[in-house]
Amino acid sequence: MAAGEEGALWSIMGYLISGLLIWGGIGYGIDRWLGTHFFLLIGLLLGGGASLYLVWLRFGRK
Amino acid sequence: MRSFQYGSGGGFVPPSTSDFNLPPVIGHNPYTTKPIFLVVLSVVVISVFFLAASRKALVVPSKLQFAGESIYSFVRKDLGEEIIGHEFMRFVPFLFTLFTFILTNNVFGIVPLLQFPSMSHVSFPYVLALFTFVIFHWVGIRKQGLGTYLKGIAFMPGVPKLVYILLTPIEVATFFLVRPLTLSLRLFANMFAGHLLLLVFIMGGDHLIRGVVGLKLIAPFSFAFGIGMTFFEFLVQCLQAYIFTLLTALYIAGALSDEH
Repeated sequence: MAAGEEGALWSIMGYLISGLLIWGGIGYGIDRWLGTHFFLLIGLLLGGGASLYLVWLRFGRK
Repeated sequence: MRSFQYGSGGGFVPPSTSDFNLPPVIGHNPYTTKPIFLVVLSVVVISVFFLAASRKALVVPSKLQFAGESIYSFVRKDLGEEIIGHEFMRFVPFLFTLFTFILTNNVFGIVPLLQFPSMSHVSFPYVLALFTFVIFHWVGIRKQGLGTYLKGIAFMPGVPKLVYILLTPIEVATFFLVRPLTLSLRLFANMFAGHLLLLVFIMGGDHLIRGVVGLKLIAPFSFAFGIGMTFFEFLVQCLQAYIFTLLTALYIAGALSDEH
């Protein structure tokens, strides 16, 4: 269905943004707290990976 | 509208965010700025147009009736029925209001003399997105019950428990933060950038035409490009009204369906 596909498209975009935002944000917070510099990168990678996994779970495995 | 201002050296002052902060029309009352009047005007325009279009409904419609009915059936069919499904009818009034309101306010950005998109002030899209936000969550809670609805959002079925630590924050953030924010910021940024772009070309042309002969020759190109961009803006304005309404319908459809 065309409408369903369009919905999936926008949901995927939302997931990708919030994955980077949340885990990147957590990493940035830990960096600020501990005075380190690498948790932001770890958080971004983790968030990006997790959101891709989530997209696969929601839309890929039918 | 922008007063023609020049820098101390007579150089071009590029348009900036300050061009969007228009002074109050009546005294110092901050509720009498141009965007506020435009929003009120849009409500009047929409009401008058659709009242006139539907007042004497005929089987063979007049041009006005045809125009009104085309817009209505577009929202009802393409944005309501096709996306939300069999329960679509109770959301059509909201979708229709949203679409016409955003469309009218956006198009004000290129209507001569009005020429200001109210949605380039971020508070208006914020409020519209708040409506969408409250409605689609309310619909979901009413349909599935609070517990089931939140569980459906936060916990993906068929995933090892440990993975939830990673996925649940993303899901919750998507539904409660990213959705309303992207919805409002997309509309705001498009209208803001579009208006700024038109200002650059028109004000730039105005500045060039006051310059030396060589610059005067270039000025028409700047104006022509400004006019071209105005047509392009019209496209963007319609598209943004459509996308805002489409996403609202999609979010409602998602809240109504059992699996997200």
